[in-house]
Amino acid sequence: MDCEKILNLFRSELVVVNVGPKLFAEALEKQGYRTVQVDWKPIAGGDREMQAILDVLGGLD
Amino acid sequence: MTIEQKVNAANAQAADILTRARPVWTDVQPAIDVIPGMTKTTVLVPGPPLPVEQITPPIRTSICGAAVHEGLAKTKEEAWTMVERGEVSVEPAQNHQCGCAACMVVSASMPVMVAEDKVYGGKGYAPIHPGPNPKCLRWGFYDEDVERDLSWFRDHFGPALGRAVRKSGGIDLITVLAKTAGMGDENHNRQPAASMCLALQVIPWMLDDPDPQRDEMIRHFAANDRFFLHPMMAGVESITESIKKIPLSTVVAGMAGNGVEFGIQLAGTGNRWYTTKAPVIQGTFLNPSYTEADLLGYLGDSCVTEVYGLGGMSAIAGPAYLRMTGSTIAEARSRTEKARAVSLAEHTFAPIPWDDFRGFPVGLDARRVVGLNILPISHGGSALKKGGQGGAGAAELPVDCFKDALRAIHKDALAWAEQEG
Repeated sequence: MDCEKILNLFRSELVVVNVGPKLFAEALEKQGYRTVQVDWKPIAGGDREMQAILDVLGGLD
Repeated sequence: MTIEQKVNAANAQAADILTRARPVWTDVQPAIDVIPGMTKTTVLVPGPPLPVEQITPPIRTSICGAAVHEGLAKTKEEAWTMVERGEVSVEPAQNHQCGCAACMVVSASMPVMVAEDKVYGGKGYAPIHPGPNPKCLRWGFYDEDVERDLSWFRDHFGPALGRAVRKSGGIDLITVLAKTAGMGDENHNRQPAASMCLALQVIPWMLDDPDPQRDEMIRHFAANDRFFLHPMMAGVESITESIKKIPLSTVVAGMAGNGVEFGIQLAGTGNRWYTTKAPVIQGTFLNPSYTEADLLGYLGDSCVTEVYGLGGMSAIAGPAYLRMTGSTIAEARSRTEKARAVSLAEHTFAPIPWDDFRGFPVGLDARRVVGLNILPISHGGSALKKGGQGGAGAAELPVDCFKDALRAIHKDALAWAEQEG
């Protein structure tokens, strides 16, 4: 039964959830796949020093 | 109280001032009589401070022109020698609550508009917009014609404007913005509606002015559809004077470029500048032969209007400016949405009809700019390296000055926490 559920998932239309750079989603869309874009960026663009400072100063809620 | 709570409280206070303040244009007076710290040998310039040897050619011309205008030197060359020797003191205008747009500078005898915030008591200053003639000190030119214009402003136009605005009882700048909401001004680079609305309130008080050049002055005033920018800058300066006194606030209280560097000031650290390389304004060239190589980096204090939520912050309010500078309505909406994502408040006095009657976002929080990595946009006119206006458009504010500012507030916050135990 569980196995059938998984097979159904693979037989259904592929919808890709893309987190981060939109370029990957756009590439899949050009190949005919549907995508859902999650607008996410690492805090402070990934700058560790700024992340540490913002841990103290807050303000991102 | 945690550091975050302390910073949040400080920012709430700054946002409160920005949204509740009531800037009113009340007077025009010689700079030396009203601007704190002004002396006979001071020249106020746009942007963060820059070593003398790095000052750009158009600002250099404006400084030297101002020094000759004041009688401090006979020639521009002599004036520059005085600057190099420190005999003429060149200081950032915003450190004196004054805003100098583009290449404009302010010296002792120049008439400046005085704005007063009637709620919190601050005062701000700005020189008078020179009008549509491109050959002016405001764009880094100085010769006999420019000197004649400067003298006319000092001896006739400035005093007459002062008499008129005093007789009027003062021009409430919020009322001008409110009455012209939905008329297509973004109020940094496009303000024909606000300028006309303001002129309607001032010209009746000029009609019986005793100066024999009255008609010429009214003609000049009525023909300047950019006039409102400068009293608005004075108005913003009158407000930022109050927010620059709030320790640990990460709200932006000043910003400007000097052609080489772009800088911001935070409410929590007053007149301290945080600078990085100035972005170049992207948009339309006024002459098709110009290229980006002809342009200086962002130059001028006029982006204090963005500090108050105007210009690029509320780009959707002025779609025609986007069209003129080669952009789109979608981009206008995006600029305002970006500003909203990193701002703490919204003005209520000038709702934008085609943006669901939402107000201008105001109170840029450096924490959100850096943390969300969303860079607000400033509109602006671009200056040519040789002097003159090269074009108009917009620039993304550089993140590095926001990062530097956060380092400083973080240091102050840790010291505060230690003191609190």
